[in-house]
Amino acid sequence: MFIRFILSNRPPPNHNLLFDDNMMQKTPLILDIKGNSLDDGPGIRTVVFFKGCPLSCVWCHNPESKKAGAEISFDKTECVGCDTCIQSCPENALDRKNPFFIDRAQCTLCGVCVENCPSGALSMVGKTMRIEDIVAMAAKDKPFYKNSNGGVTLSGGEPTLFMDFLSDLLKHLKDEGIHTLVETCGLFEFQQFEKKILPYIDTIYYDIKIHDPDAHKQFCGVKNDLILKNFIKLNAISAENGLELLARTPLIPNITATDKNLNQIAGFLKTLKIRQARLLAYNPLWHEKNEKIGTQNSFQNNKDMTTWIPKEKLETYRSIFTEKGIHTG
Amino acid sequence: MFFFQPTTARIKFSPTNILLNTLLRVFAANFNFRPGLKKYLKSDQGWIDFTIGFRTDSGSVKAAVLFKNGKVSVSKIIPEKVDTMLTFHSDGAVLKLLGATPTEQIFMVLKGQLSPKGNQSYLNLFFFFLSLLLNSKQKKLMEKERKISKKELLKESPTAKTELSDDLIKRFGVRMKADTIDKNVKYLKDPFLSDYGLDNFPRVKKYLDIHFEVKPEVCPELPKLVTDWHKANGYETDKNGKPWNPLLRKAHAYKYLMENRKPLIRGNDLIAGTTTTKDIGVVVYPEGHGTMIWGELLTVPHRTLNPYDVSEETLNILHHEIFPFWSKRNFKEWVREEYDSPLCQQIDERFAIYFIWKSVTISHTIPDFPKLLSMGTSGIISEINDQMKSFAKNSNEKNTLEAMILCLEGLTAYSKNLAKTAASAAASENNPQRKAELEKLAKTCDQVVEKPARTLDEAVNAMWISWVGLHMESTNAGLSLGRLDQWLQPYFLADMEKLNSGPEQAKYIKHAVELIGCFYMRCTDHLPLTPDIANWVFGGSSSDQAITLGGVTPEGDDGVCDMTYIFLKVTEMLSIRDPNVNARFNPDKNSDTYLKRLCEVNLITSATPSMHNDNEVMASLEEFNYEIEDLRNWSATGCVEPTLSGKHIGHTNFQMMNMVAALEMALNNGKHPLLNWKLGPNTGEIGTGKINNDNIADKPFKTFDDFFNAFITQFKFIIDQSIEYNEMLAQAHQVIRPTPLLSSVIGDCISKGKDVTIGGAKYNSSGAALIGLADITDSLLVIKKLVYDDKKVSFADLKKAVDENFENDPALHAMVTKKVPLFGSGSDEAVAMADRIAKFAHDYYGSKKHYRGGKYTVGFWSMSNHVAYGTLTGALPSGRLSGKAFTPGLTPEPNASKNLLDNIRDVARLDTKNINNNIAFNVKVIPTPEDTREKTVNDMFSYVKTYFDLGGMQMQMNVVTSETLKDAMAHPENYRNLLVRISGYNAYFVTLNKDMQLELIERAEYGM
Repeated sequence: MFIRFILSNRPPPNHNLLFDDNMMQKTPLILDIKGNSLDDGPGIRTVVFFKGCPLSCVWCHNPESKKAGAEISFDKTECVGCDTCIQSCPENALDRKNPFFIDRAQCTLCGVCVENCPSGALSMVGKTMRIEDIVAMAAKDKPFYKNSNGGVTLSGGEPTLFMDFLSDLLKHLKDEGIHTLVETCGLFEFQQFEKKILPYIDTIYYDIKIHDPDAHKQFCGVKNDLILKNFIKLNAISAENGLELLARTPLIPNITATDKNLNQIAGFLKTLKIRQARLLAYNPLWHEKNEKIGTQNSFQNNKDMTTWIPKEKLETYRSIFTEKGIHTG
Repeated sequence: MFFFQPTTARIKFSPTNILLNTLLRVFAANFNFRPGLKKYLKSDQGWIDFTIGFRTDSGSVKAAVLFKNGKVSVSKIIPEKVDTMLTFHSDGAVLKLLGATPTEQIFMVLKGQLSPKGNQSYLNLFFFFLSLLLNSKQKKLMEKERKISKKELLKESPTAKTELSDDLIKRFGVRMKADTIDKNVKYLKDPFLSDYGLDNFPRVKKYLDIHFEVKPEVCPELPKLVTDWHKANGYETDKNGKPWNPLLRKAHAYKYLMENRKPLIRGNDLIAGTTTTKDIGVVVYPEGHGTMIWGELLTVPHRTLNPYDVSEETLNILHHEIFPFWSKRNFKEWVREEYDSPLCQQIDERFAIYFIWKSVTISHTIPDFPKLLSMGTSGIISEINDQMKSFAKNSNEKNTLEAMILCLEGLTAYSKNLAKTAASAAASENNPQRKAELEKLAKTCDQVVEKPARTLDEAVNAMWISWVGLHMESTNAGLSLGRLDQWLQPYFLADMEKLNSGPEQAKYIKHAVELIGCFYMRCTDHLPLTPDIANWVFGGSSSDQAITLGGVTPEGDDGVCDMTYIFLKVTEMLSIRDPNVNARFNPDKNSDTYLKRLCEVNLITSATPSMHNDNEVMASLEEFNYEIEDLRNWSATGCVEPTLSGKHIGHTNFQMMNMVAALEMALNNGKHPLLNWKLGPNTGEIGTGKINNDNIADKPFKTFDDFFNAFITQFKFIIDQSIEYNEMLAQAHQVIRPTPLLSSVIGDCISKGKDVTIGGAKYNSSGAALIGLADITDSLLVIKKLVYDDKKVSFADLKKAVDENFENDPALHAMVTKKVPLFGSGSDEAVAMADRIAKFAHDYYGSKKHYRGGKYTVGFWSMSNHVAYGTLTGALPSGRLSGKAFTPGLTPEPNASKNLLDNIRDVARLDTKNINNNIAFNVKVIPTPEDTREKTVNDMFSYVKTYFDLGGMQMQMNVVTSETLKDAMAHPENYRNLLVRISGYNAYFVTLNKDMQLELIERAEYGM
């Protein structure tokens, strides 16, 4: 399971990212392309992670996926202490006395340190990639997709932030005969999505994190009215043409994983006659990830946030859905 | 044996020398004056006379201990003629040896602190004498080591994580049903036999408990009977002083053994016959490596790894009656005498470079069971008699055939004796059900092996009795059972056809499962004799009796049948290390359902079966132009290696070759660093990197190819040496241990009138296991890329870092491990490099003349030698640190990629034309606990199927987490049957040495 729950210290919401035509037409940075994923859709899959997200969930996925721009990551566990980077940095932005090693105010992202680091402790997060190259990387796994009914999953960050690029990429993947799946937070302009994305996807994994709009704003930075509306529309399409749509709720202790929130979400899904949803188990092993990109994490000492959710509790959460006739297996 | 000592060097004063001489005198006095010890100087043939010399490299120590006419004396001058000479690297090593445990003694040899030369039996005898004096101290030392090691483990992991061990047990409880039925499955309604678990078979379950709980014991029956016969009938010459024909001598001795060994039937068994007289017996083959255990007879019951009991009676028989007779009459000593301690043998005996299996046995083949089952020994004897007419009297051919008949008669006699045992046991049995079984067994053994088998019960009994018979003829190492599903299916079908009702048929299917279960457990009734060194070199291995399932029939039809699934059921339920189950998957003919079942059994047992792509294995053998029906009839032998069933002496594991030694020698101008021995040719020193007067860096290897050629030159040298030794030992086998019984069931030996040891078989070859392919590939890539292509580091600096185990250059260590695309990362260059090495090896081995005809073949699998050789190897340019294990088989280094698919793709695209002795590709995959059985099996299936689609040859999966393995290290009591794949064979994790356990833990782990 990819470590996907990373939290930031309440950064300002990235509203500016949303519906920005500029952004929509821009080429995204690719955070990572991960092969052999067995948890991001059916079969063996290649997951393409886009960099940049319009939400700012406090427990966020990968903190490095929030900003659309490039960042430098420093993994102190990989560092061998040779100081080559310190000596090579033209801006003198590196100092072991800095709280996160890199003084990001001084850093110009020139990448010289990354180039010179022998151990890979310093790395550039986010790079531009040509669509053909992404497709080629995925296509070499086609024999695995064939035997496992797998394919490519586009995830993030939020891939729909870059509608045009995403659309183009999907088209190419479909031309290769590859099964496509998009993981989305649901915050997108529906018309654009319907026109540019929908024709090329086989499956959508759609996050419904918090039902209450105020709570959603509190924890994710924006209200969720658009997210829910979009979901209702997609659900109607799904009922009509068989598009596979799966609602998913990440279980975040005391935030999304509350009886109230889960009851509300299950109730919402039930009104839409949905029979299948998914609860994503909380993975507490993400705390050191913030440090690498120089952010802090206020939940580090929070017991609920640093332990696995007990099995019995998971069962109770599941039963909330099961009682409403919704499978979560 | 002669060793000429330099006489010119003046003896310097050395306290060690004085101390050694004093200690040896104390030793001598003990044996001269204590009757309890003196008696050990004598064998039933008279006093055992021999001499051991002691010296140091520097000449500071010199002493000899002489055993003559029942007197032990010590001399400060080493006589010209000593049987065994011990040369120590330092003074310290001399005293260390005298107080060492057997394990420590071995490590002194392995690590170059001590190099013995000369007769090894006498060295072991000397160690036995030492052990007579010191064994209580040795035992205490061993006990102390164990306690310390246990304490350390418990400190790290004080409480057992029972949820982990429970999780493994729970896997047995979940069972999938088959969703389709293969076309040649005629009777099984659910081929996965999901209704059955081990609890349905209490008889077999009890045997499984015995397997895990009864301590094995050394059995002297075979060597005693064989030695008795030779004492009465002569060895070199017969009673009339006429030189023995080796074949006839062997055959007469064999017949005597078979007629006189105890015909035993284990309590409640459905199969008659035992390999030894013990519940789990260790067989001693005195003409093989039997005397290697001499020095450990007193300590072997107390050693940490794989202890065996040795009763006092057994000890006395072995010491007084058997070993002295064979001290020079074994393979190694024959070569030593005949070729005067050749260099190729000296290299072998230092262990770090290669190991030649013929010093122990040839074995490693598959007898023609279908012939034996359908004709019986009587049928084969008539065939031989017919053939005999075409050969002249007293010709070699005629003698060979006569020897075969004697052996077949011996085998028949044994089965008739078993029939008598069964009949008399039946007569005194009160339980009616058991009485009936015994009566049936009596009839069975009367029918087989003499006459053709008619039922599954007869066929299985005939196979087992002949199996015992073959083990009585020659040391079993990788003697394999072959395509048992194919060969037993006709008997199963014949039995089923006689049954009319559904319930009768269901009952019979259950009986068939139980019978095969009994057969598997019979195969566990013996263990190979392993001196402690084998625990380090071949840790946890049984004799690797491979069974092969599935694939295609000789005609090319789908071979998966009822018996395939019955064997898989038994494999699943028992989850034992040996028989070593190998499954052929033919992508064109076999079903996905079958492959899914293989994956499920692999998941449940966590390690077996090993899976082969039928098409690729057959393609790798194309160059030999084998007849197609024979090719389609291939089976795995020992670990993974292909042998054409019943027609092929492929000695597929003639050697374990440490290829990395060639690399180390190339880096050191022919010198092996750990052995501190300049044995290879001069290929050039790696320069100092200093700038010389002409302003040119001192660099002899101008291009990468120059260095590659140096590696090749060293590699050729060790290949040549190893093959030379192989061919010498092959001659020893022809003289010491021809195998007429085996020859009678290997195609063409009868018609040619030739024993298998001299090329009687239809097909001949010898196969090498080449170890360290990934480590060498990665090291060469680092040299190429960083030194030559990118010029990031000078060769001299890299060499210096390697010599210093990278301790002073962490940045360079980080660079070599992180910045060079390794084999298994998806790099085309890395795959090309691996192919280049493999192609050289294939072509060069293939070009060498092979003594029985046919060719030398190469494979890339390692048993456990990747750990042992790793221990004996310094740091490598790849960044692998000194003493660490190599990767198993040709598995990529764990660092190569985080993506398993990169590993799979790279291994799959290697050119299989260079790999005609197969590979072992290990993959460690971990199921997600929440996943259903179907999801996990489907994921495994997707990996294997795609790997095969991409041209992969063989794959073996360990389905267990490192966390579980760590828990098992500290709490072995919860994991007695935790099965792991090493490289080609299975072992119980808790019986492995610590280095091997760590290697398994450190393997890359991929979640599912």
